[in-house]
Amino acid sequence: MWLMNFLPNWIFHIILLAGILGLVASFMLKFIPFISTYTLPIQVASILLLVAGVWFEGAISNQTAWETRVKEMQVKVAEAEAKSAEANSQIVTKIVKKTKRIHDKGDNIITYIDREVVKNNEVIKFVENCPIPEIIINTHNAAALNQPIETKK
Amino acid sequence: MRLIKLFILAMFIILAFLVTGCSTTVPVTAKFPSVPDTLLEKCPQLKTIEGEKISIIDYTKTVTINYTTYYECAVKTDAWTEWYQTQKSIFEEIRK
Repeated sequence: MWLMNFLPNWIFHIILLAGILGLVASFMLKFIPFISTYTLPIQVASILLLVAGVWFEGAISNQTAWETRVKEMQVKVAEAEAKSAEANSQIVTKIVKKTKRIHDKGDNIITYIDREVVKNNEVIKFVENCPIPEIIINTHNAAALNQPIETKK
Repeated sequence: MRLIKLFILAMFIILAFLVTGCSTTVPVTAKFPSVPDTLLEKCPQLKTIEGEKISIIDYTKTVTINYTTYYECAVKTDAWTEWYQTQKSIFEEIRK
């Protein structure tokens, strides 16, 4: 609340204390001429101060509870942000490792094709006698590009 | 008596003025977690077979490369799922 940020808390404690003291004085110090003359106004003012004082005490207590929760939340958010960064770092490490493993396996297969498959007699015979039809290539390329197949008649 | 009425009226006006202006804004905001740059990279286009005379060797190589590309991209997609679940659980802990 803006007023509580604007004024120090002791002012609200004084308001409450003034209300209590005023009310007590209006009942117990009637032998003092000023109080006996203005008993009713003093009582009314004291009750109003008491009500305002109690209300502000409640507000201060509520404000303190909220401020404590806000501080707790700030700590939790900071911890969560640190955990989040750590998790990101772990995920990136995992991606790099897995990608490298997959890439290496792919390279190994390509190397195997260049080293072993090309020397295979059956393959050599197939390459010499059976060129891959254009329609197969077109179908493969269409699938690779996720495009419709262009039929040539 | 007129003085008392005036005083009471003034007190009510002051009290009414005091109870206004309660702020409900929570001053703590959690930033949306950042995503690793690796996850933001697009998956590459699959390779096509080009040329006049294509052998079964070239065909197999291209298919192998494309399968590798798929698996590399799948790693990123799986990482997105993992990233989301991890970040979700981390930020749900704040509310506990």
